[in-house]
Amino acid sequence: MDVTEKSAPIRIDVKDLRKSFGAFAALDGVSFTVQPGELLALLGPSGSGKTTLLRAIAGLSPAEQGTIHFNDEDATTLSLRERRVGFVFQHYALFRHMTVFDNIAFGLRVRPRRERPAESEITQRARRLLEFVQLGGLEKRFPAQLSGGQRQRVALARALAIEPNLLLLDEPFGALDAKVRKELRAWLKDVHRETGLTTLFVTHDQEEALELADRVVIMRNGRIEQIGTPSEVYEEPATPFVCEFLGNVSKFDCTIRDGEAEVAGSLFPVGEENGLNGPGVAYVRPHEFEIVIDEHGEGLPATVKSVRPFGPTVSVELVLAGRDGPIEIAVPRELIGLGDVQPHRVVHIRATAARIFAAG
Amino acid sequence: MFWLGLIVLIPLAGIFTRAASLGLSDFFTILVDPRILEALKLSFGGALIGALINTLVGPVVAWVLVRYEFYGRGIVDAVIDLPFALPTAVAGLALAALYAPNGWLGAPLADAGIKVLFTPLGVIIALTFIGLPFVVRTLQPVLADLEPEIEEAAATLGASRWQTIRKILLPALLPTLLTGFALAFARAVGEYGSVIFIAGNLPYKSEIAPLLIIIKLEEFNYPAATAIAAIMLVMSFLILLIVNLLQGWARRRTGYAG
Repeated sequence: MDVTEKSAPIRIDVKDLRKSFGAFAALDGVSFTVQPGELLALLGPSGSGKTTLLRAIAGLSPAEQGTIHFNDEDATTLSLRERRVGFVFQHYALFRHMTVFDNIAFGLRVRPRRERPAESEITQRARRLLEFVQLGGLEKRFPAQLSGGQRQRVALARALAIEPNLLLLDEPFGALDAKVRKELRAWLKDVHRETGLTTLFVTHDQEEALELADRVVIMRNGRIEQIGTPSEVYEEPATPFVCEFLGNVSKFDCTIRDGEAEVAGSLFPVGEENGLNGPGVAYVRPHEFEIVIDEHGEGLPATVKSVRPFGPTVSVELVLAGRDGPIEIAVPRELIGLGDVQPHRVVHIRATAARIFAAG
Repeated sequence: MFWLGLIVLIPLAGIFTRAASLGLSDFFTILVDPRILEALKLSFGGALIGALINTLVGPVVAWVLVRYEFYGRGIVDAVIDLPFALPTAVAGLALAALYAPNGWLGAPLADAGIKVLFTPLGVIIALTFIGLPFVVRTLQPVLADLEPEIEEAAATLGASRWQTIRKILLPALLPTLLTGFALAFARAVGEYGSVIFIAGNLPYKSEIAPLLIIIKLEEFNYPAATAIAAIMLVMSFLILLIVNLLQGWARRRTGYAG
């Protein structure tokens, strides 16, 4: 459905953005480009600067240094109205005293008279947006009479009503429960496809970022750790931080020699040439282990702590000698005889892949 | 319910039975006494003006206290309660001293040709003074509850600052503003201690109705006193009723039931 006039989506160029709150550097030299029509996730722990970055792009709290360009136009010189940014807040920020319809029409009604569409056109456009966000028939409700998921849809329709240049969403699903969250996630993907807008969203949920985004920007302490497609950042994390942040990994101290990582006498294969030597750390994801049942086999000896045989993979918790806390591994159901993997049994585990970094 | 009846309703009923014992013609004779009429006009007019001023100034004060961090905010916040906490006579004396022709504020005003002491203006100032905390204190929690994101949302949608205030903030605050107005007004109508010193109590000019009740009582003219009281009661009740209806209307418009 045609909800926004399809002008070409814009490119965003962010260069060397800096901002601090007192002694705390919220943005510490951030540069990146968002391609036209891209769906980009800003991912990081709280305090990493992702929301500050989003707000700077929106013009809500300008950065102290650096530039932001929308295509070739310097956005830092534009007023909020001129930027035409569709912004969706975590807690919806709906106008409580207005109906759903009036909320959506607000951005059109506050335009200067010569730019303002006729009331009949405003009505038409608001109706169309309501249909688009699947809330047809609810235009006379007040926000207090809607569920959280519905409110966030209204917020999005309101943001789309101004025919924004780009769409920015600040933890859009953060205040919703898990089920609604999943629904809205799929729906946001549809919205992005249908509007074609350059879209940025902030999240601290790596699963959300990896599932939705074309590319993910991973932030930490006001800096960008890595930018890449979900599979790039997942498979080839640039830093230990990215590795640890993107889901479940086990970390091992290792010695790197000739491109291979040795962990307590067992060799972890490392895919590519890395030029590293000396002490390092190796990260292995749960599905990159295999279990060797033979008690004298090669690999690291480990004692089975618990087995959870649910779903397509079996999740096994193991305790390794000389290591704090159990590690979790996931093996395909058909590859292990469950009879052999029982609590208290000693097995050997081998890594089939690992990511290594120099220590320190 | 029982306590409400005991504490509020029985004294009110007492006033009405007392006033009713007057008989209708006597009642109206008292009513049309120009001195009483003037006093009622001053009390209600002054309270109305005072409450209106507070409804304009109160939101600004509350806004500053809620939204801005500044040195000494805690002190300013505490000072707001002063008209509440101060014995009314003390407040009255302080105001009278302040606005006397040789007082801090009275002197420059007198130079400008404005006389405050012993005039209706003085009454209005006193009634404004004691009403302010009611408006500020009712607004503060509601303002604190209005997230800055609401304003940011309006701004990203292209609204100017003025449009945001007019279309977003004021409508959201309207029900509360009416409550604050009603409270400030109700307090001001019955105010006595802080007014009489600055007012000077010149009959027909700066004499307020509650004072007139006292005067009548001191003259042992109980019927007149209760008649004035009954009239004040009815008028206050009517005004509060109107405010309540307005409030209900404003609430319905915001989608909150009741």
